Amino acid sequence: MKILVPVKRIAALEEDFEIRDDGRDVDGDFINWDLNEWDDYSLETAMQIKEAAGGEPEVVVVTVGPDDAEEVLRKCLAKGADRAIRVWDDALEGADQLAIARVLAGVAKTEAPDLILAGVQSSDHSHGCTGIALSALLDMPHAAVVAAMTYSAGDAKVRVQRELEGGMLHAVDVSTPAVLTIQLGINTPRYASLRGIKQAAARPIEELSAADLGADFASASRVRRMYVPEKSRAQMIEGSPAEQAARIAEIIREATGA
Amino acid sequence: MARDPKYDILFEPIQIGPKTLRNRFYQVPHCIGAGSDKPGFQAAHRSLKAEGGWAAMNTEYCSIHPESDDTMRVSARIWDEGDVRNLKAMTDEVHKHGALAGVELWYGGAHAPCLETRATPRGPSQYASEFETLSYCKEMDLADIAMVQQYYVDAARRSRDAGFDIVYVYGAHSYLPLQFLNPYYNKRTDKYGGSLENRARFWLETLEKVRNAVGADCAIATRFAVDTVYGPDQIEVEVDGMKFVELADPLVDLWDVDVGDIAEWGEDAGPSRFYQQGHQVPWTRFVKQVSKKPVLGVGRFTDPEKMTEIVTKGFADIIGAARPSIADPFLPKKIEEGRIDDVRVCIGCNVCISRWEIGGPPMICTQNATAGEEYRRGWHPEMFPKKKSEDSVLVVGAGPSGSECARVLMERGYTVHLYDSAEKIGGHLNSVVTLPGLGEWGYHRDYRETQITKLLKKNKQSQLMLGQKRMTADDVLNYGAEKVVIATGSSWNTDGVNCLTHAPIPGADASAPEQLTPEQVLSGKKPIGKRVVILNADTYFMAPSLAEKLATAGHEVTVVSGVHLANYMHFTLEYPNMMRRMHELHVEEIGDHFCSRIEKNRLEIYNIWGDGSRRTYRGPGVAPRDANTTHRWLEFDSLILVTGRHSDDTLHRELKARESEWEANGIKAVYLIGDAEAPRLIADATFTGQRLAREIEEANAQFPLPYKREVATWGTPHLPGGTFEIVYQK
Ligand SMILES: Cc1cc2nc3c(=O)[nH]c(=O)nc-3n(C[C@H](O)[C@H](O)[C@H](O)COP(=O)(O)O)c2cc1C
Ligand code: SF4
Repeated sequence: MKILVPVKRIAALEEDFEIRDDGRDVDGDFINWDLNEWDDYSLETAMQIKEAAGGEPEVVVVTVGPDDAEEVLRKCLAKGADRAIRVWDDALEGADQLAIARVLAGVAKTEAPDLILAGVQSSDHSHGCTGIALSALLDMPHAAVVAAMTYSAGDAKVRVQRELEGGMLHAVDVSTPAVLTIQLGINTPRYASLRGIKQAAARPIEELSAADLGADFASASRVRRMYVPEKSRAQMIEGSPAEQAARIAEIIREATGA
Repeated sequence: MARDPKYDILFEPIQIGPKTLRNRFYQVPHCIGAGSDKPGFQAAHRSLKAEGGWAAMNTEYCSIHPESDDTMRVSARIWDEGDVRNLKAMTDEVHKHGALAGVELWYGGAHAPCLETRATPRGPSQYASEFETLSYCKEMDLADIAMVQQYYVDAARRSRDAGFDIVYVYGAHSYLPLQFLNPYYNKRTDKYGGSLENRARFWLETLEKVRNAVGADCAIATRFAVDTVYGPDQIEVEVDGMKFVELADPLVDLWDVDVGDIAEWGEDAGPSRFYQQGHQVPWTRFVKQVSKKPVLGVGRFTDPEKMTEIVTKGFADIIGAARPSIADPFLPKKIEEGRIDDVRVCIGCNVCISRWEIGGPPMICTQNATAGEEYRRGWHPEMFPKKKSEDSVLVVGAGPSGSECARVLMERGYTVHLYDSAEKIGGHLNSVVTLPGLGEWGYHRDYRETQITKLLKKNKQSQLMLGQKRMTADDVLNYGAEKVVIATGSSWNTDGVNCLTHAPIPGADASAPEQLTPEQVLSGKKPIGKRVVILNADTYFMAPSLAEKLATAGHEVTVVSGVHLANYMHFTLEYPNMMRRMHELHVEEIGDHFCSRIEKNRLEIYNIWGDGSRRTYRGPGVAPRDANTTHRWLEFDSLILVTGRHSDDTLHRELKARESEWEANGIKAVYLIGDAEAPRLIADATFTGQRLAREIEEANAQFPLPYKREVATWGTPHLPGGTFEIVYQK
């Protein structure tokens, strides 16, 4: 029994930040990197399945990212994941969700997990589609936005409750192997102990290049621009009523282009 | 980040006589317990604030002559050359940071009991102090007046020699100049009494003489309580207050105005329980209408928005601060650097003041554990020594001591895991802040929460772990930390154990439906009946706070107290208004009574002085006094046990019992701090956290390192050129 948990190192912004010179992303100086919050919950889901089965199921975490992304894998190892895989290729810089899903599909094909638990979305880019794209590429059944689930290692199906609008839940049985995207609040993620952190620091991380997986990682989209929309400005108009009226008329003319 | 331009006005220099204040942040005179006898403490405490951006630092009240001796309370003194030498340490250090130093020249009259000097205080008329026990003054005749005025002049000259830039004639808090002005003290019929002009004469003449003596070199300030807040019988701002300002305006370079007197000086240093930021403005704002000189006012100003409003609206030119400067000596700098969320906001608990009121001990602060430790322990509130090992630390308990310890360890670069079963940092403070008037105490928690959140970003190995299951000894042993800090707090006793009998009270049991601990009251889960009895053996705020909370909610509340109810609140200046509130809410107090046993819905109480006054030896097994026969029953629907607290130290005890397993588990040391070591003030709990974090590398860091003491040294005379030897009159 094996569970694959794809995780992402996300960018959390400082209170004040600047956009990169090329205008396509935030300047790295203003970013705090962290493990995507949703992935805390998907990892916890995997860990609980593992523990309920007496520890036998193997929990494998995988991320697509450069060297620095290793820190999120260590965090998962510190919490009890069995193995960690990092895939990278400089060509993946700026890759979209589809390209990432293709890489992950390559990993999933080699690992052949019984269950893939992804987060519903990442907190920085919020596409909410990597997990679903992965299921399509693998031709596996999927359930999105899972808020509760019943499953024991080896079961032929997972019984999930999906979160719908208006507080409704959608109860679905999904046969395994399957891809589930896990919602916040499904459980209480654990913290790593200091012992876990220290041990994780010495554990190996399996590194794969995109070429090792031999697939097509082309992106289907590209970022044109990232920007903060301009706020409309309020201004105080001073002077006599007549002066104020004249100024207002002028502003209206400017705005309407008359 | 740069400061917000909307605060620019706070950073504009302003001229006061021959001197210039570099900005509008001004540390008004306040005691710290240093005076002139602990020059290192004095110099370090004030100059640290100069480093933190304040424009001027003042001494505490500074006695001008042995006739004004406030022992046991600690004032500064500028009686002789020895004092000049010691105070010069302060002015030199303050000047190094480009700020001004001021001295508050003080003569107390009957409020200063002269317990050390045994001199006779003089006053405008003879009166018995309403503030000090058993202290009268002699009424001054005209020669006395001239003599005391000369004391001011001589002290002002010594102040100039000591390097002070600002010299005060101190007339707030009902000290001598105000005693002349206030008909409550001044019953004279000569030219120094009667009309306002006559009552003002002493003060005006004194200002003039001091100005003539040192006015060319020093800015002359006066501190004036513009309204004593007792109504028409004393000083009212729109009556005598503004008129006096007009009369004295040509003689001063700076007005430092406040309200109140000395017996109830909590009306000036208003506790947050009763007064908010800016509470004095309705009185002090009148001063600028009649003065042409710079005016400064106080009122626990911590928020730059409010400060800016005070200046732009013309209520004052300069922001005076005592407590905000104690809680955060770097307040101006943090505003300047746009770091508003780093400000350690004064919570208005007045524990700083309590030490002065107790008489003697150095000042402490609940928010700023380094206050008073600048010189003797070398603690700087914004500077932390780098960690000296790679040890990681587990802190169990995120209350005041645990969160402070974790914060300082993280500042030092340690990897820290801070662990708590609650969902929030703050420990018991989270429920205390729900008591009437104590909301601002939550700033203590907020500061630590903000700082820890920031520090976590700097070290990804550190963790804040809230809402966790309670740790067992096994959990700690397996955790993998080299050092473990236990900060598990304390709880109120459920069995009535108290400071009077040191034993449980028969029948006391907070698991019974009609008996409650304070925690149970605050959690709101247990129903409380109509008639409430609070059984008290605690000397701080819990019993009166619960009485206020429950009486406000419509319960009939009786407090049975075996100790002086709210005694510590005398020291925090909360007592007078707390008692007024008890009165308004019809809370009944049965003082000097305690409890012998509790039955369902009734308790047996007795007068603690009800046993016989004559002590006789009656042989073993027989009490030396007659039996107490004052016992009677009192009924209740709910009984609240405010009898005492105990440390929640089970985890620490279990770990100590398994010390032999520490090494195998990689644990080098386990420490115990805060209430878990011994229940105490939040300020002291916070201190233990800071202290351990700064000394954790020491061989036995559980126990504090010695600090640098400042004591009179044998072989060294106080007076330059004097003698230290034993010499008798012949
Ligand atoms: C610990 C402490 C000691 C004080 N001692 C003095 C003093 O010696 N002389 C004085 O004029 N005021 C003294 N005060 C009063 C303050 O100067 C100030 O008027 C009062 O605290 C209100 O200002 P704040 O709200 O900024 O604290 C003291 C205040 C504190 C907190
Ligand atoms: S002890 Fe309390 S009132 Fe005094 S400065 Fe500190 S926080 Fe403010």
